[in-house]
Amino acid sequence: MRAYVEFAVKKFQDKMAYRLDFFMGIVNTAITIVVYLCIYKALYGGATEVDGISYRMVATSFVITLGLSNAFHFNEMFLEHKIHDGSITNEFLKPVSFLFRMLAENIGEGVFKLVFHFLPALLFTLLHTKLCPPKSAPGLIAMFISVAFGYLILWLISFIIQTWSFWLFSVWGIMTIKNVFVNILAGTLLPLWFMPTALRKIISFTPFESIYFTPVRIYLGELNGSQILSGIAVQVLWIVTLGIIANLFWKRGIKKLVVQGG
Amino acid sequence: MGEIRVVLQSLKMSIHTRMQYRVDSLVATLAVFIRESANIIAIYLALLKFDRINDWNVNEMLFLYSILFLTYAFVVSLFADLRQFSDTIREGRFDRLLVRPRSLLLQLILNNADLIASAGHGTLGLLLFVISAGRVGIHWDFVTVLYYIGAIIGGILIQGGMFIVFSSLCFYFVETGSIRDIFYWNMRKFAGYPISIYHKLIQGILIYVVPFAFVNYFPAQYLLRKEDMANYPAIYIYIAPFVGIIVYAAAYLFWRVSVRRYYSTGN
Amino acid sequence: MENIIAVGDIKKYYRIAKRGKGMIASLKYLFNRSYEIKKAVDAVSFSIKRGEIVGFIGPNGAGKSTTIKILSGILYPDAGDVKIKGYIPYKQRKQYVKHIGVVFGQKTQLNWDLPLIESFELMKFIYRIPQEKYEKNLSLFSKLLEMEDFINQPVRQLSLGQRMRGDIVAALLHSPEIVFLDEPTIGLDVVAKEKIREFIRYINEKEQTTILFTTHDMQDIEKVCDRLIIIDKGKKIYDGSIDQIKNKYANSKTIEILLENDEKETQTFDISVTPMNTVMENLFAQKNIKDISICEPEIDGIIRDIYEGRLVLDDPAAEAD
Repeated sequence: MRAYVEFAVKKFQDKMAYRLDFFMGIVNTAITIVVYLCIYKALYGGATEVDGISYRMVATSFVITLGLSNAFHFNEMFLEHKIHDGSITNEFLKPVSFLFRMLAENIGEGVFKLVFHFLPALLFTLLHTKLCPPKSAPGLIAMFISVAFGYLILWLISFIIQTWSFWLFSVWGIMTIKNVFVNILAGTLLPLWFMPTALRKIISFTPFESIYFTPVRIYLGELNGSQILSGIAVQVLWIVTLGIIANLFWKRGIKKLVVQGG
Repeated sequence: MGEIRVVLQSLKMSIHTRMQYRVDSLVATLAVFIRESANIIAIYLALLKFDRINDWNVNEMLFLYSILFLTYAFVVSLFADLRQFSDTIREGRFDRLLVRPRSLLLQLILNNADLIASAGHGTLGLLLFVISAGRVGIHWDFVTVLYYIGAIIGGILIQGGMFIVFSSLCFYFVETGSIRDIFYWNMRKFAGYPISIYHKLIQGILIYVVPFAFVNYFPAQYLLRKEDMANYPAIYIYIAPFVGIIVYAAAYLFWRVSVRRYYSTGN
Repeated sequence: MENIIAVGDIKKYYRIAKRGKGMIASLKYLFNRSYEIKKAVDAVSFSIKRGEIVGFIGPNGAGKSTTIKILSGILYPDAGDVKIKGYIPYKQRKQYVKHIGVVFGQKTQLNWDLPLIESFELMKFIYRIPQEKYEKNLSLFSKLLEMEDFINQPVRQLSLGQRMRGDIVAALLHSPEIVFLDEPTIGLDVVAKEKIREFIRYINEKEQTTILFTTHDMQDIEKVCDRLIIIDKGKKIYDGSIDQIKNKYANSKTIEILLENDEKETQTFDISVTPMNTVMENLFAQKNIKDISICEPEIDGIIRDIYEGRLVLDDPAAEAD
């Protein structure tokens, strides 16, 4: 475990070396928040509520989703590069699990972005816009758990596609399409409340709803006690399902690598 | 003369490169198309619910967006080598250009042209144009067509100028990726909406700092005449096609000054 | 003949940011950086006559590449001046670079995905090479470097040696009068190296091309160059002929001895201090010798000794005439 923490910390430090990128990251996040709040305001066009959702809830949902999607950002070409240049075989010689190392590095980068890009931008936003406070302390705790699970779901989806580079020349195209799905169906661009009902129904059967929307709803108090539990249960179900699939592809891929030598 | 032949040879080489991976190129083009459609889909879904944004309906929004895509389709190939300019410097490819007896920008234009992105953005832009152009009440006559073409060329020059400025910054800073992310990529995303919806500061940036407003908002206003134009000097919709020339010229001067810095530091 | 290249006291200093280890140092680095000065080139002067081939050597980080960059017009020197064929390279870039060809051995200028010929075509347009001259040079060069077989193959499929040949041709198609080669033989096998050396000699003899090249391979120097410039830590430490440096250390002989019990020994003597006669007498008196061989000093060894500080050269000013 200590080794993986080291990987995460190392990545965190690497990130700090880029001074300009660091400050600009904050500005970037702040501008994005301001702009999207303007867009939602214009969409609301002076109405206080649309479908029972207040502008403040939309703003809060957007800010949280943005913060999370900032943190839920990984180098998705990592495995492909490792496989294509053959360096993946070296990784197996190291005494740490390659997968957990990858995850640890991704988390390190994510935490960096959350702490240094998102938090300052959030404070800046609070200066001029009122957001909803957390509904309750247990709700906040439940939200953190749900965030961690949401992260794992998205990470597993990305990882599954990354493992396809054992067979495909490039997974860039598929990854791009996946990101379109995430951006739309997970509600990064438009909160899921405003989706057409039929589409909303379909989304509820996919893992996408569990990534950002479940934590957001828990935070806003849209879900009550048992609904929170079932929301988190659905997340766990997806983690298990995706974990099994990921493991399957990973094992097959390794086997192919060993048999055919890449 | 001879400049054109250099550029044409660069284009020819870019095409030949792509032809070697035909299937790959096709898949990548499709991926770009789908990726860029995401924002369009989001706007479409949002307007299904909210109907209008600052009185712009969905067709007007698509028309506004189409100009961004159409101009970018040209920019991304013409100035492809400027997108990752810090890499060009770091890998020593810039040294290469310096030891050749030609203008540096000339050697960069159409070099490694990203024809995939051009095809993806171009198709989407055309598609949006075809869907929206007939439904937004524009009377297409000689003047409007001429204006439209001028605006597209102006838009290409404005964005090309921005690429040149961001590349020039690589001579001053090691990492310029995030500056470019904010001022180019984010602002471009924001330019997809009528700028009148934004905070005054952001409007100011979009008009005077990274003048995306002159790429699509003011040209669209010339053709659509929406009410929110009342917030801006009317002259802006007439000068829009010429802003490109000014921006490009200014960017070129900045580039000239900045390249000098490279001579003293190297990479 | 007149000096085509004149370099006077050029200096180039770099500022390098220091980065500490650990979390606190990382945080500090974010806000406040300290720098140290590296003297990449520190008052180097030399001149080269038209038609000379000069080997330019030194250990890694000695300032070779920086010097080549200054001569190519890519970098301004912080002090000193450079005049090449009447031009100041870094001030009159476009006019000047028509007359030079540059090969950076570590970085190709060829398009990775396309056949060599396409990159050559681009050179034709960039250098405004008349079609006739282009065809003449191309067919001559590809014959000399035996490139006919692979000129239509994508560069990514070529071996390193083939690619380097392509790079050299791309840099010479416009018949430059002055050529800078920065490690043109790095990583190549013996055959490829030999081909490139022959080609360099040929161009030099036929066209009176002035050539300055850096290398780590002493064979390159011995087989191609008339003259050698050595720099170390940004300063010139030797400038003269190769024979001169060899003669200077000709007194140093290495003796390899095979003993009766099949053990090997090597000893180095300075025969100006201990004459060979005495050396031999002592050896025969002390050991049972089966076989003995006396080695002339190799240029390789001499250079290595210079780099490693075992040999101290005289004041370089005294070496140059």
